[in-house]
Amino acid sequence: MKQIAKDEKAVVIIGSGAGGGTLAYELTKAGIACVLLEAGAYLKNEDYHNNEWEAFKQMAWLDARTTSGSWRIAKDFPTLPAWIVKAVGGTTTHWSGATPRFKDYEFKARTTYGDVAGATLLDWPITLEDLAPYYDKAEIAMGSTHRHGRPALPANNNYKVFANGAERVGYKLYATGPYATNAEPYDGRPASIQDGFNFQGDKSKAKWSTLVREIPRALETELLDLRPESHVVRITHDASGKVDTVVYADKSGALHEQAAHIVCVAGNSIETARLLLLSESNRFPKGLANSSDQVGRNYMRHLTGSVYARFDKPVHMFRGETMAGIIADEAAHKPDRGFVGGYYMETLSLGPSFLAAFAEPGGWGPEFAEIMDAYDRTAGMWIVGEDMPQATNRVTLSETVRDQWGLAAPNVHFDDHKNDVAMRNYAYDHAQKLYKAVGAIDSHRTPPYPSTHNLGTCRMSAKAEDGVVDRWGRAHDVPNLFVSDGSVMTTGAAANPTLTIVALAIRQAEYIAGELKKGTL
Amino acid sequence: MKTTKRRLLIGSAAATMMASTFAKVAIAKLPLARGGDPASDKALVRMIRVMFPHKRFGDGPYQRTADAVLAAAGKTPADRVAFSAALHDLQASGFTELDDKAALAKLKSIEDTAFFKLVKGTTVTTLYDDPEVWGLLGYEGPSFDKGGYVKRGFNDLTWLPEPRIEEYAGAGQ
Repeated sequence: MKQIAKDEKAVVIIGSGAGGGTLAYELTKAGIACVLLEAGAYLKNEDYHNNEWEAFKQMAWLDARTTSGSWRIAKDFPTLPAWIVKAVGGTTTHWSGATPRFKDYEFKARTTYGDVAGATLLDWPITLEDLAPYYDKAEIAMGSTHRHGRPALPANNNYKVFANGAERVGYKLYATGPYATNAEPYDGRPASIQDGFNFQGDKSKAKWSTLVREIPRALETELLDLRPESHVVRITHDASGKVDTVVYADKSGALHEQAAHIVCVAGNSIETARLLLLSESNRFPKGLANSSDQVGRNYMRHLTGSVYARFDKPVHMFRGETMAGIIADEAAHKPDRGFVGGYYMETLSLGPSFLAAFAEPGGWGPEFAEIMDAYDRTAGMWIVGEDMPQATNRVTLSETVRDQWGLAAPNVHFDDHKNDVAMRNYAYDHAQKLYKAVGAIDSHRTPPYPSTHNLGTCRMSAKAEDGVVDRWGRAHDVPNLFVSDGSVMTTGAAANPTLTIVALAIRQAEYIAGELKKGTL
Repeated sequence: MKTTKRRLLIGSAAATMMASTFAKVAIAKLPLARGGDPASDKALVRMIRVMFPHKRFGDGPYQRTADAVLAAAGKTPADRVAFSAALHDLQASGFTELDDKAALAKLKSIEDTAFFKLVKGTTVTTLYDDPEVWGLLGYEGPSFDKGGYVKRGFNDLTWLPEPRIEEYAGAGQ
């Protein structure tokens, strides 16, 4: 592996997930050497556990965090606002694999939805047209089923219930994808063996992640200096206001400095915002790149929820890919439903260990036991839709709680917008109707899990005062600082965000490479 | 590992548990492992079964869960004394003699206590994380080493028609 000297001004990428891992590969492929700093360990596929709690303990980001606000997470999981991964590959390690694209009007949410009281809607400074070529590249890289000649995944048991229910309630836009899990061997990786473990990391490598594709390929270029267990604690800048050094702690807590020519932050929305806030200085007293006071604001987590339905016949939802079914009929913007924006329905399965923990947090008694007793007769789906950005939904630094390095922990404050509540209730109702149409005895509305989609804390904006980064993800305040993850999303759209994060990262890499070549960066 | 799970699910409930009801007996002598005091063992196992009643489950999973609860309850002298006092109170109320309905009502009356929350939080992450329970619920556990389910029933549901897997080809896409 290449070793870049600590005093050599390098392109430094922070985080190795969908954004950072993709950026590292695209830049090294273009001949640009990079240092990739990853807070987590270098776990490999063979290290993963087919066991929910063991895997959670192995890879979940469990550093100190706090919560506030009226969201139920603050009550049920006060120290776990988000369920993301701390390992090389980031949260692509345990992502579900769904790859729908954002819709054209979702890049123009303010124009399309109008002035929604309490929401800080804003149009993106880019359009679907700008991103479309990169969506193609991302789908080809990730091997999305149903796209570019990739075949569909077969119907598993959970999908059979889901799709038949969809048909019976009149939905048309259902299918087993697009998902970035191989239905047949592709790109050097095998076909799915339908092992049912996904949120635990995929041992088989059938599912795309930056661990199985971008990072090994970036290492093969011999231009990547990958440093796992390197937790960035501060980014500093020179007298001109350009970032110049990244300071990080190794696993022993010893501090290191890496000189930087360009810094790209991709730590997932909570850590990215936190790192900028922690990097305050005389020049940037509210945090690096935060003259707009927008860093940490407009935190979005997608409208989520699950429905688990019980039948009198076996389902065995856990057999087969965890997520391999999607319904898009409700994804459109149809304000006559009583809310703006839309949502997808996607198959989802949990094992008994996690179903017990998450189906009804805090629940107990005979009704709870009934949910568990029906385990092998249960079908499940997840609801994922657009939630409203709000200035007060925000990542800030805790004044009291410190992490293992003594740094201020992030606090995540969240209140549901009334549009979120209306959409979730509508979606629950329609999910329950779907299962009833196919013979469900009963079904249960499961509240949102700790957030897996964390978006919007450094949003992209045309005007510097409205956001943190420009149309390339470049900080309005700092010309050689980029944000390269879901933090940049101006609004969240309804679709799972990973494909869009990858597409944005490919586009950003092309921009950075071009600017470097021109000598303007 | 159990500690981590428990901490996530119940926050700091154990740490703030109030020893509000000092009973008159020698609480310090109550054992924090099963096998020392049959009456308190019985009360705790019964409590867990009433909280999460599964007719199909034998005593084994409930007893193993009780062990995990006792392990989680004894981190500090303050935790130990508070837990022991609360469990003693439950015993003293004649809990083990109550029928299912009355026992459920009794537990309802204490569901907001730190004691109850500790037992509940630990049970949720222990009882259903037990391979014997997985088997009873029809869950087959780790599968990668067995080749996944691709040849072991991932699509064996036959009570519904085979659905379309491709995207909709009609109008309205």
